[in-house]
Amino acid sequence: MKTVTMDSVSKSYNGVKVLDKFSLEIKERERIVLLGASGCGKTTILRLIAGFLVPDMGSISIAGELVARDGRIFKQPEERNLGMVFQDLALWPHLSVKGNVEFGLKARGLPKGEREKRIKETLGLVSLENFINKKPGELSGGQQQRVALARVLVLEPAVILMDEPLSSLDAELNVRLRKEIIQLQEKLGYSLLYVTHNEPEAMEIATRVVRI
Amino acid sequence: MAKRLFLTFAVLLLVAVAFLPVLSMFAKSIMVEGHFSLAPYSEVMGSSHQWNLMRNSMVLSGLVMFFSVAVGLPLGILFGKSDFPFRRFLAGIFVVPLLIPPYILAVSWSDLLGNGLFGLPGAAFILFSIFLPIPMLLTMVFLRTINPRLEEAARLVSGWPGVLRGVTIPLVLPGVLLSAVLVFLLSFGEFSVPNFLRFPVFPVESFTQFSAFYNFKAATAATIPLVVVTLVLLFAEAGFLREKTYQLRPSPDIDSLAPLGLGGYRWPVFTAVAVLALVLVIVPLAVLLIQAGGLNIYAEALVGSWGSLMRSIGYAVAGATLLAFMGFITGYLIQRKALWCWRVVDSMMLFIFVLPSTVVGIGLISLWNTPETTFIYSTPLIIILGYVAKYTALTSRISVAHLGQIPLSMEEAAQVSGAGWFHTMVVIVAPMAWRGLAVSWLVGYIFCLRDMGITMLVYPPGYETLPVRIFTQMANGSPQLIAALCTIMIVATLLPVGFIWALLRLLNRKLHI
Repeated sequence: MKTVTMDSVSKSYNGVKVLDKFSLEIKERERIVLLGASGCGKTTILRLIAGFLVPDMGSISIAGELVARDGRIFKQPEERNLGMVFQDLALWPHLSVKGNVEFGLKARGLPKGEREKRIKETLGLVSLENFINKKPGELSGGQQQRVALARVLVLEPAVILMDEPLSSLDAELNVRLRKEIIQLQEKLGYSLLYVTHNEPEAMEIATRVVRI
Repeated sequence: MAKRLFLTFAVLLLVAVAFLPVLSMFAKSIMVEGHFSLAPYSEVMGSSHQWNLMRNSMVLSGLVMFFSVAVGLPLGILFGKSDFPFRRFLAGIFVVPLLIPPYILAVSWSDLLGNGLFGLPGAAFILFSIFLPIPMLLTMVFLRTINPRLEEAARLVSGWPGVLRGVTIPLVLPGVLLSAVLVFLLSFGEFSVPNFLRFPVFPVESFTQFSAFYNFKAATAATIPLVVVTLVLLFAEAGFLREKTYQLRPSPDIDSLAPLGLGGYRWPVFTAVAVLALVLVIVPLAVLLIQAGGLNIYAEALVGSWGSLMRSIGYAVAGATLLAFMGFITGYLIQRKALWCWRVVDSMMLFIFVLPSTVVGIGLISLWNTPETTFIYSTPLIIILGYVAKYTALTSRISVAHLGQIPLSMEEAAQVSGAGWFHTMVVIVAPMAWRGLAVSWLVGYIFCLRDMGITMLVYPPGYETLPVRIFTQMANGSPQLIAALCTIMIVATLLPVGFIWALLRLLNRKLHI
């Protein structure tokens, strides 16, 4: 079953065409890696799916539902049930690890007991149980990476978008976290759309590579 | 070496211009007939009248702070974050009262409402309309420093109201708190509006003691509570906020974030904001125009005050030029932490800026009113020194923000190419910071031109400025003439602002930077 469909999507910035009739289908439990040089439109694709950009032409559907088409947006980002890990992680510096992970649960109106349970489970998944009250600035690069992942996983999205999430890490940590990302995806079963310009990283993570 | 020497000299100069006057004032106030005495202070502190004044000052400043932040924060978010129509234009309208001498609005509202405006509500309302732009502008500035990815991450799970509550507002909170402190202290030190509206507050007391009774010691003693409150709030600001407000840099891809869509609320909200602008800004300005009446009144006002107007502009141009220079040097010192005392210099400038003008004015007189320094005290130099003392904090902060966008590597590249520090500053850093210098000059010009608190106390006979002239005529001058003078004052402020703003935009476009 398809989770995300982009159909002939075009997008321009200031008259410069970044995407021209681009199409993509992401199936359930698939790990797709978008591979390409800087400036080729990889991040634009993620931002279109997330709802931060509107396609000039073409359509985007998520879980069979049309979310944007031809310059019009039908579903806002928070209504798309997607998770996204940003290149710079975008951890909220004023909130603790718990606050970062809990934000989405609160936004969805989950009761306190349920929130606590899910935070504990998710932080356990990424081995961060002992850092629950730390602020992002007090964590190492790898730990911050895991917080970003936990913040997304706790909401159990059907699709997770990752925008070069390992690019700022050293080589050793990069390789270790790749394996963790694969293990988590296989365990939890979400679809993954992963952007990188690093070929070995792409080959290791992907079940399918899309070059653009 | 040249760098350290030059910066040290600049710091010493600033200490002499800004800090020594205040120090000299206190030193003189505790010496009675050559002996140490706290008698003037015990008189002030022991008087219930003084404590009533203090209560009035605190209530007035508290009210102004509360309402300015309560309205300024949402306005800042609307103008800085949403798809609100004509947001730049409306933001500009709200800023106008901050640019003109405060008492002009008091004159205008009193023309409209008569005695109904007197007292606490009137003073609080007028100061609110003057200081409202501070939280509004600081919110807008801080919004531009937020990494848009932080809000996008929240947008994936929440609508804009939740994002604003959980992410945006907490991230701009240092700016909002800083604006609250500034509004409180500026309201606390403001004396022309409460004085005109007959609401007794502390700065009026020290001004009266000095100008009406020429009781120097009592005037100085009456400034002590002002200094104490200022210091307490500044220490709080330094402790909680300063590190967060030093390195204000716009987030590089701030414009990539889609604006907050107001949807169906867009036009109703616009109408509400436009009505607020109409009441707070347009109505008082229109009242002045109507009150002044025909062109013959303007001609009479211009003929009578031509000298004051030209002096005002001349002093403001000289003051702004010095302020831009001093702000650039101290901004560099603070941004690059070039001397160990950078934090002390910054705190000192901020302290003098938020210190009531009456205190700074009395300090200047105390230090420079000697036979040896007549060349300063009896010439416009004393006014210019007052401007530099009081307003360098503003131009310095502007320079810090602009210099923060110039990578250190630019200087280092010039230095490894063989350029000395001065050469690097003149050829590399200053040209790269030209926008900051231009904005500093403009802000310096506006604040020098609108200044009344310092000028009123220190201007030598025959050297009065237009704001002083208007203020002295307010007691018994014709309302038409005062309204015309106020309008001339507004034009003298806004014309250069509009011209330089347009020039900056043109240069930005031509230079493609």
